[in-house]
Amino acid sequence: MSHNDLRQEFRRQAEAVSAVVTPVADPAEAFARAARLTAEQGGACLAAPGWEADELASLKAACEREGLELITQGLRERAGEFHTGLTRAQWGVAETGTIVVNSASEELRLASMLSEVHVALLTAANLRADLFALEQELNSTLADAPGYLAFISGPSRTGDIELVLTLGAHGPRQLHILLLEEGS
Amino acid sequence: MSRASRREYHQRLKGALDNRFLGQTLARFQGNYRGSREAGFSGMDFPALAAEVGAAKDAAVGQLEELYQQFKAKAEAAGATVHLAHDAAHAREIIAGIAARTGSRRIVKSKSMTSEEIHLNRHLEAQGLQVTETDLGEWIIQLRGEGPSHMVAPAIHLSRSQVAELFTQVTGQEQDPEDIAALVEVARGRLRQAMLEADMGISGANFALASTGSIATVTNEGNARLVTTLPRVHVALVGLEKLVPDLNTALKILRLLPRSATGQLISTYVTWVTGAVECAAAGGRKDLHIVFLDNGRLALSQDPVFSQALRCVRCGSCANVCPIFGKVGGHNYGHVYIGAIGLILTYFYHGLEAAQELVNNCLNCQACKVNCPADIDLPALIKKTAGLVMAEQGRPLKNQLLRRVMTNRPLFHFLLRRAYLAQKPLAGDGRKIRHLPLFFAPDQEFRSLPVVAAEPLRDRWSRLVPPVAEPRLKVALFGGCLVDFVYPEQGEALLELIDGQNIQVDYARDQSCCGLPAAMASEEETAREVARQNLAALNAEHHDYVLTLCASCASHLKNYPKLLAGDPGWAGRAEHLAAKVIDLASFLQKEVGLEPTAAQGKAVAYHAPCHLCRGLGVHEAPKELLRDAGYDYRPYDDEEVCCGFGGSYSLDFPELSAAILERKLGQVAATGADTLVTDCPGCVLQLEGGLDHLGSPIKVRHLAQALAETKKGSEP
Ligand code: SF4
Ligand code: SF4
Repeated sequence: MSHNDLRQEFRRQAEAVSAVVTPVADPAEAFARAARLTAEQGGACLAAPGWEADELASLKAACEREGLELITQGLRERAGEFHTGLTRAQWGVAETGTIVVNSASEELRLASMLSEVHVALLTAANLRADLFALEQELNSTLADAPGYLAFISGPSRTGDIELVLTLGAHGPRQLHILLLEEGS
Repeated sequence: MSRASRREYHQRLKGALDNRFLGQTLARFQGNYRGSREAGFSGMDFPALAAEVGAAKDAAVGQLEELYQQFKAKAEAAGATVHLAHDAAHAREIIAGIAARTGSRRIVKSKSMTSEEIHLNRHLEAQGLQVTETDLGEWIIQLRGEGPSHMVAPAIHLSRSQVAELFTQVTGQEQDPEDIAALVEVARGRLRQAMLEADMGISGANFALASTGSIATVTNEGNARLVTTLPRVHVALVGLEKLVPDLNTALKILRLLPRSATGQLISTYVTWVTGAVECAAAGGRKDLHIVFLDNGRLALSQDPVFSQALRCVRCGSCANVCPIFGKVGGHNYGHVYIGAIGLILTYFYHGLEAAQELVNNCLNCQACKVNCPADIDLPALIKKTAGLVMAEQGRPLKNQLLRRVMTNRPLFHFLLRRAYLAQKPLAGDGRKIRHLPLFFAPDQEFRSLPVVAAEPLRDRWSRLVPPVAEPRLKVALFGGCLVDFVYPEQGEALLELIDGQNIQVDYARDQSCCGLPAAMASEEETAREVARQNLAALNAEHHDYVLTLCASCASHLKNYPKLLAGDPGWAGRAEHLAAKVIDLASFLQKEVGLEPTAAQGKAVAYHAPCHLCRGLGVHEAPKELLRDAGYDYRPYDDEEVCCGFGGSYSLDFPELSAAILERKLGQVAATGADTLVTDCPGCVLQLEGGLDHLGSPIKVRHLAQALAETKKGSEP
C-alpha cells in the first residue's frame, strides 16, 4: 500500500467508527486545534501529560489564547474537571482505523479515559497496513514491563440496550485524531 | 432423564415462545447480526482463517501447563502475582482472600464470563463486600438479579422500557424509555463514581500472552480500562484456555473475534496490561493478581475429542446464528455459557443436572459450526456430550430400541412396511395424516405427516429401470429411508431427468438407513455398524458416483471416514465412498446438462437444506437449475435457515420445531411463490406438513420433481 493509500484507508476506517481525522501541518497547529475544540465545546480545562518541554510551551500558549487551564499531572484528583485529554499515539492501523497508544504512564491513561474528548496526535509516517505489520514494534513494547498498551478505534460505545449504538458509554464521547504530515 | 425436569424445561421454552417482545428482539438481533457479520468478513476467506485460529488454539491447548509456567515467570518478574485455582470454590476463596488482605470493600467489575462461571458476585457479597458490575448490560442484569442471556450482549432479552423502569427505580427519577442515550448517561454517571471510589477492580481477559506475561481485554465501552486503572488492586480472573504462546496467535484471533461477535472490524478498546503498572492510588505500583481458573479445563485439554471445546474465544456467534436461540433466548439456551458452546460446556463446568435437558435441544443444522471463528465442530460435540449425559443416566428405552432395530436392516424395513398398514386407518384415502392419536406423539399438530408408500422405491426399481448396455456413467443411488419408503416418486423423478442419458443407476437392495438418526441419538456404535453395512452394499469402488436425493444422507455418508477412522478394515472404503458422494443439483450440473427451458413464469421459492448448503457447501446450483428450467425464482432472507425438522428433534421439541417452521413459511408466503422447492425429503416432510396444516395452497416439490415437471412440460 502506498503512503497515500494508507492514509486514505486509515481515515476511511477511523471515520467509519466515528473518529474524526484532521490533517495538521505541525504540532503547533495540532495544539491550536485541540485548544480551540475544547473551548468551542464549552470545556475549561485540557489535560496533556507526557509532552516534551518545548511542545508544552507551544500548547500552553494555545490554551492561554482560548482561556483554558492546562494540566499535566494529578489527573486523578481532577477527574470530571478536564474536558479534553491530549496524548500522542505511537502508531496508526489502516485496516481498522485504530490508534496504538502506549499508556504505561498512569496520567496518560487517565487523560485518555476520563476525558469527554480524547485528542490524539499521530505522525502519518507511523501508519501501517494492519496489526501484523506492527508485530515487532508491539512485541518490544509489550516486553518493556510493566506496561499498559491500548489499541483504540473510535470513541467508547455500547449497544447493550436493544442494540442501539450509543457513543460515550464510559470512555470519551469523541475521538479526534490529528494526523501530522511531517515535513509538509 | 427425569420427567419432571423435562416438563419444566418445556414449560420454560413455551413461556419464552409466548413472549412476543423477546421474539421480536431476538429476530431483530439475529437479522442485524447476519448483515453486520457479512460486511465484517467481506473479502476475507473466513473458513481458511477460522481453520488457522483452530489450529493455533489447538497448539496452545495442547501445552497449557507449559504456557502457564512461562506466563507466571514473566508476569511475576513484572510485579504481578499469579494464582492457579483448581475449581470454582478455590477461585472464589483466592479472590475473597485478596480482598481481605488488601482491605478492599468496594469492588468494581468489568465483564467476565469466567466470573459468571464461578458465581463470584454471590460469594463476594456474602462476605459483606460491595460488588458493582460496570458493563452496562451486566449492570442492568445485576440490578435485576438475573444472569446474562448472551455472552456478548448480556441484557439482550430486555426492552428499553424495562431498562427505563429499572433506572427510574434506581435513580428515583422518571426515565424516558425512548431516550436511550439518556439511559446510557445514567449508567455512565453512576458507574464512573463507583469506579473512582473502588478499592479493587476485577476484570476478565481475552488473551494471556505467555511470551510477555501480558493480559488483554477486548471491549467497546471502555469500562475495563477504568476498572484496571482506577482502583489500587486489580484482580484478573482468566480461564486457563485463554493462554496463547505469543502476540501473533492473539492477533490471529483478534482478527476474527470482533467480526464474529458484532461484525466490527475491531472492538473499540483492546488493552494489554503487563505487570504492576503505575497506580497512584496504590502508592506507586498496582497490586495486580492474575487468577487462572482450571475447573476442569486441564482434564478437558487432554481429551482427544472434547479438547476442541477449549478453542472457543467466546464471540457469541454460535448463539447469534442459532435458530433455537433466536426463538427462546439465552436464559433458555445455556446455563452460564450460551448457545452451541453452552450446550457443551454446561455439562463439563456445571454438571449433569444443568445440562441434561439443554444438551438435546439442537437441530444439528450446522449454522453454528460454519460460523465459528475457532472452527469447532459444535453440533458433533453436542451429540457427543449428549452421549456422555446418556451414559451417566442410562440409555432411554427408545435408544435401546433404535439400536436393536437399526442394526438389523431386514427387521427395520419390515417395520417400515408394517407402518403402511398401521397408518391406513389414520390417513383415510389421502396421502397425509392430519391428526395423530395423541398418545403417539404429543404436540405434533403443527404439521400433518406423510403416509408410508404402499410400494417402496426398492420394490419398483426393477420395473422402472431398464438395463443400460454401455453406460457412460455408473451411478449408485443411495435412497435413504424417506425417499425409499415415503417419497418413492422423488426417485422416479430422478429417473425421468436422466432418461436417455446413457447413465446406469443401480439401487443396491442391501442398503439401509444412512445411520444419521443413530448418530443424532448419540448411538455411535450403531451408526458405525450401519455405515459398514452400507459400504458393503453400495460398492462405491465400482461406480463413478454415489448419488442421493437426500442432503442429510449425503452429508452423513461424507462423514463415514470420520466415523470409521479407527477401523482399519473399513476406513479406506469409507474414504472411497465419501469421495464419490454427490447431491442431485451438483450431479445434474456436472454430468447431465439439462436443456434450458423457456420461462414459463411459475414462481418458486427455494429452501436450502442445512446439510446441503452448510454440510456440502452447495449454495447456488439448485437455484441455477430452477432458473434454467424456466422458473421465476424468488429469494427471501431466511432461505438458508433450518426448517425446524432435524429428524427426531421435531418429535422431542415440537413447540420449537413449529415456531421455527412458522417463521420460514411466513417468509416463503411473502415471496408470492406458489411452489416451494427443496432437495431433501426430510425438509419436504416438514415444509409440506406445515403448509398442509395451514391450509396453504403452496405446493412443495423436491428439486428432482420440479425439474422433471418442466422437462415433461417442454417435451413436444
Ligand atoms: S464456540 Fe465458536 S462461535 Fe461459539 S462462542 Fe466459541 S468461538 Fe464463538
Ligand atoms: S446445530 Fe443449529 S440448532 Fe444446533 S446449536 Fe448449532 S445452530 Fe443451534
